[in-house]
Amino acid sequence: MENRRMSDQGAKPVDTKQIKEMLDRKEGKMKRYLSHCAHCSLCAESCFLYMAHHKDPQYMPSYKAISSLGKLYKKKGKVDRKLLTEMKGIVWRNCVLCGRCYCPIGIHIPSMIAFARSVLRSQDVYPQLDEVSSESWL
Amino acid sequence: MYNFIQGPLVSIAFVIFILGLIFQFFQFFRLTKKKEWIYPPVDVKREKKTAGKWITFCLASLNGTLWKTDPLVTIVTSVFHVFLILVPVFLLGHNILLNQSWGFSLWSLPESMTDILTGVVLICVAFFLGRRLFLSRVRVITSLYDYVVLLIALAPFLTGYFAYHQWFHYDTVMTVHILAGEVMLITIPFTKLGHMLFFFLYRFFIGNEYSFARGERTW
Repeated sequence: MENRRMSDQGAKPVDTKQIKEMLDRKEGKMKRYLSHCAHCSLCAESCFLYMAHHKDPQYMPSYKAISSLGKLYKKKGKVDRKLLTEMKGIVWRNCVLCGRCYCPIGIHIPSMIAFARSVLRSQDVYPQLDEVSSESWL
Repeated sequence: MYNFIQGPLVSIAFVIFILGLIFQFFQFFRLTKKKEWIYPPVDVKREKKTAGKWITFCLASLNGTLWKTDPLVTIVTSVFHVFLILVPVFLLGHNILLNQSWGFSLWSLPESMTDILTGVVLICVAFFLGRRLFLSRVRVITSLYDYVVLLIALAPFLTGYFAYHQWFHYDTVMTVHILAGEVMLITIPFTKLGHMLFFFLYRFFIGNEYSFARGERTW
């Protein structure tokens, strides 16, 4: 059985073409969501992780969506493994996808983060069980 | 140049604004489809509410909204958005121009009132700018683009205020005012300002927990 540890995750080259294809497939929805976000930060208090981390802005739902999916679209999928690994912490550690985030405009933030997870997972970037328990990937 | 800004560009701006919104509206319906399932289930009969019950229900609902977490921003943003539409549409000067050009006009608010309301809009913009500059949670997601969008929204009101009080060189201020309004109209359908239309589409048509109506569409 393939043992995909974090060190192994780094070995495979990033398939930017595949990322681009994934991004293009959902462009209509995701780009509109990203584009219409007014960057007002009013979603902040609806996130329990934001509240639990002394209102640290990096736990804000909009920040998490912009700095993961937003970056992927901005770079048109041309990202390296280092950046994907950075995003791993944002979309898995800083968000539990509880779906409680509230946007006054009506942007569905969890779907953006879930999609960012899918893109990362397609490149074998996801937290391992032993990583999560040791928190060494944070 | 002044003639072009005051003449054809006004029509061009309105055409782009209206066609742009129509295009975005149809694009939204092309990209979304009716849900195969609806949550909550369709067969749940909604309780008939009297006017009193509705008011009590709405007031009680406010507890779970931004009104509770951020009352100041809720008030400022509500006031800003209402006046942003109200002031230019019901401004006496605009309605006179409308009457001269197309032979019809809407009601007009007293000039002294629109002057105050413009001042209120400017204060609201200053508040938003302050949040962007000094509040770390807003600053962290702010880019130059956000300032540009804020400037696009601010410019027609600031120049209109200057023009009404005849500050600076009147003709130049008026030209910039007209140009600022045209830029705003043109950019609305294609930029972040598109939330003017998409707010309603997202909150009323897309099915999710926070829909205002029973949103029945999905992406």
